[in-house]
Amino acid sequence: MEVRMRIFRFNPEKDRKPHYDVFTVEAQPTDRVLDVLEWIRGDVDGTLAFRRSCAHGVCGSDAMRINGRNYLACKVLLRDLGTTEITVEPLLGLPVIKDLIVDMGPFFEHYKTVMPYLVNDELPADGKERLQSPEQRERFDDTTKCILCAACTTSCPSFWSNGQYVGPAAIVNAHRFIFDSRDQAAVERLEILNDQFGVWRCRTAFNCTEACPREIKITQAIAEVKRAIQTGRVE
Amino acid sequence: MSTLKTTLTGYAGYRGREGHWAFLLHRITGLGVVLFLTIHIVDIAFVYFQPALFLDALALYQTTLFGIGEIALIFCVFFHGVNGLRIAYFDMFKPGLWSIEMQRKTTRTTLIIAIILWLPAAVWMVRNILLHNYGIVLFGG
Ligand code: HEM
Ligand code: HEM
Ligand code: FES
Repeated sequence: MEVRMRIFRFNPEKDRKPHYDVFTVEAQPTDRVLDVLEWIRGDVDGTLAFRRSCAHGVCGSDAMRINGRNYLACKVLLRDLGTTEITVEPLLGLPVIKDLIVDMGPFFEHYKTVMPYLVNDELPADGKERLQSPEQRERFDDTTKCILCAACTTSCPSFWSNGQYVGPAAIVNAHRFIFDSRDQAAVERLEILNDQFGVWRCRTAFNCTEACPREIKITQAIAEVKRAIQTGRVE
Repeated sequence: MSTLKTTLTGYAGYRGREGHWAFLLHRITGLGVVLFLTIHIVDIAFVYFQPALFLDALALYQTTLFGIGEIALIFCVFFHGVNGLRIAYFDMFKPGLWSIEMQRKTTRTTLIIAIILWLPAAVWMVRNILLHNYGIVLFGG
């Protein structure tokens, strides 16, 4: 099949404004958007810039807007797009560095603010391990799956309007520790998120959950954090 | 890109699903009602400060243009109210209901409930506009 790739281009050293380049490519329906981008960069235009590392949906490097919606380019097959006209653009709401590469700095700054690490200063009972039942582990299993690709945060209308919003990805990673029975800093994290730029910016628009390549129930996780703040209980 | 441009690009261009549209409609209807309420506070205040103007305001509300605006306003109030109750219930009491399937289904149901609540009022208001402004009797003349 022949696909028409319309790709967002911006070179900060030359361009004053971004533009779009069109590439017509012969591809298989089972090719991924990433394969087509690789082919363009390798055989047609070596100046095309985009990030990718694992190419298998694990590292979270290649989140981008494909036909108006956030995906990992390595996880979406051409045939699943339902059209041969494909527009590829960088994530919305983060500064564009070049072409499809955005500055992930602000995204990771928000991630760092929620203390995304285990906090527990007590020695384990046996001096070796902090034990946890399968049920306790299950409680936060969903939010352990995050690969920090930023597909959720950059699909969020609240984040587009105000980059100070901590964003769904940071809340997901806070959730992962708040509901972990081994952790002791839930209260601090809930305090951090109980802020006008914390969970309360979430308007439940659901774009994050629809965009998540790991199928994390993001809006649910955010609502659980909202509820924990309101009730003062971590259930 | 400026923040405003990013926001509007996202609102209009992002291919979201039901939740995206429900969010936009909730915001538009909320702001619509705020706009009306502002005008409304001014017009009611006329009773006290400028009684003659109050009658003008009432006459203005009876024009066809304002009549159509009021029909839209009723929809705004119903959609915003029903959707607001849905969001508040999910968020405050049943976070577990925020799954993709439930979100899509309940958004559609919300729209249908809002339309069902709105239709009788809309029909009655259209009837009144036609009757009072054009002398056309639709029913119950
Ligand atoms: C087209 C539909 C509407 C009409 C014809 C209408 C008419 C009126 C009238 C005549 C009054 C004065 C009542 C009195 O003081 O004796 C009033 C008061 C009021 N209306 Fe409406 N209204 C409408 C819709 C709304 C809506 C949708 C809202 C809320 C969003 C609203 C909010 C209020 C409030 C808060 C007052 C009290 C103002 C005060 O007493 O100073 N109205 N309305
Ligand atoms: C029937 C009563 C109402 C209910 C149940 C209700 C419910 C809600 C809820 C739950 C939200 C938050 C939405 C979210 O976080 O996703 C909201 C937002 C809002 N409401 Fe209402 N509301 C009602 C009446 C009104 C009225 C009368 C006005 C205008 C005077 C209004 C204006 C707004 C505005 C401007 C927003 C912000 C929308 C946004 O951030 O996108 N609401 N409402
Ligand atoms: S390249 Fe690693 S997630 Fe796509």
